[in-house]
Amino acid sequence: MAGLTFDPDRHGELFSAYLDGQLTPEEVMIVSELLDGDEEAIRDFVALRKVRASLRLLPEFEVPAALLPDGHLGDRLSAYLDGELVTLEHRRVTKHLVDCVECRAELQELDRARIAVRSLPGVETTMTGEIPATPVRHRRRSIVAGGIGAAAAAALLVGLAMGGGDEPVLVLNDLATHHMARASAEPGFAVLPSAIEVVAP
Amino acid sequence: MTDELAPTWEDVAHRYGRKIYNFAYRLTGNPDDAADLVQEVLLRVRKGLPSYQPGSFDGWLWRITRNAFLDGIRKKKRRPESALPEGDHHALGSSPSPDEVLSSIRLSDDVQSALLKLPYEFREAVVLCDVVGLTYDEIAEATDAPVGTVRSRIHRGRKLLRGMLTWPV
Repeated sequence: MAGLTFDPDRHGELFSAYLDGQLTPEEVMIVSELLDGDEEAIRDFVALRKVRASLRLLPEFEVPAALLPDGHLGDRLSAYLDGELVTLEHRRVTKHLVDCVECRAELQELDRARIAVRSLPGVETTMTGEIPATPVRHRRRSIVAGGIGAAAAAALLVGLAMGGGDEPVLVLNDLATHHMARASAEPGFAVLPSAIEVVAP
Repeated sequence: MTDELAPTWEDVAHRYGRKIYNFAYRLTGNPDDAADLVQEVLLRVRKGLPSYQPGSFDGWLWRITRNAFLDGIRKKKRRPESALPEGDHHALGSSPSPDEVLSSIRLSDDVQSALLKLPYEFREAVVLCDVVGLTYDEIAEATDAPVGTVRSRIHRGRKLLRGMLTWPV
């Protein structure tokens, strides 16, 4: 390659690609030879290097946080408890729960609430709106019927048995109204589960 | 991404959101357009992930990003020639000395201004290479162009920038 003369149009592109580490070994040899003493080639190379550096040193902007999800599981937790997530999604959620204290706490709270709500007695009214004197059976979904997801969630909760935490406070106005009406109509009728505190509207 | 599980869109948002935002910001010089693009890309990723076939995730993502960007331009019926933002006040990482900060802001404004004067294909190639940090192969995949064309566009873009920029001696 002796006597190689620098041609800005032909060789400039090699300089750019050289700076990006995108040349073949043969092309690298050509660049080396051009930069070995050819002042015009060196000037061209240095100028391109400055342009490239100025682009790469442009400050990076932070993406506005509102555009990104908060990274937690949100409404997928309820679906997880109810065994409604398909296999891959279920694995992802389980993986996230292992790492995320916040979502574990939320899952635990959701499960308590879910159990509490399902423990409430069913209420039937007559056509006139009166509450019947005889208790009705609790409509409680069996853990088996809850599916693999619910069983897995229960197992997970056992594994997650974390210390303390405040009991969940639920606003269950409609359910509570029915329940208290039932309780007053039937002395001795079960009180609300202790995990739930009914908050007045 | 070589995880055995395909990424969730939340993973994509956290891992690539900033890159997508900066890509659009440098192409348009406009933070609102950049924010719009991030939202649009994440929406498309969410819709597209179920049918994503394991392969070059970056190529797939940046093709989506580029198409979303070009669709946005078509919708607005204008080329991305927006005015410059007011300095780089919310940029990350600035030099400690006030003089250096001022000089750096001026320079980055100059570079941004020069970028906006480049023909779109050159600007896109330069931004994907120098701002986003893609390889020539990844840029070729994202822009649906041969690698040789990508190489030529990057060089011609830088060469034009060189003619527009001056550096303090």
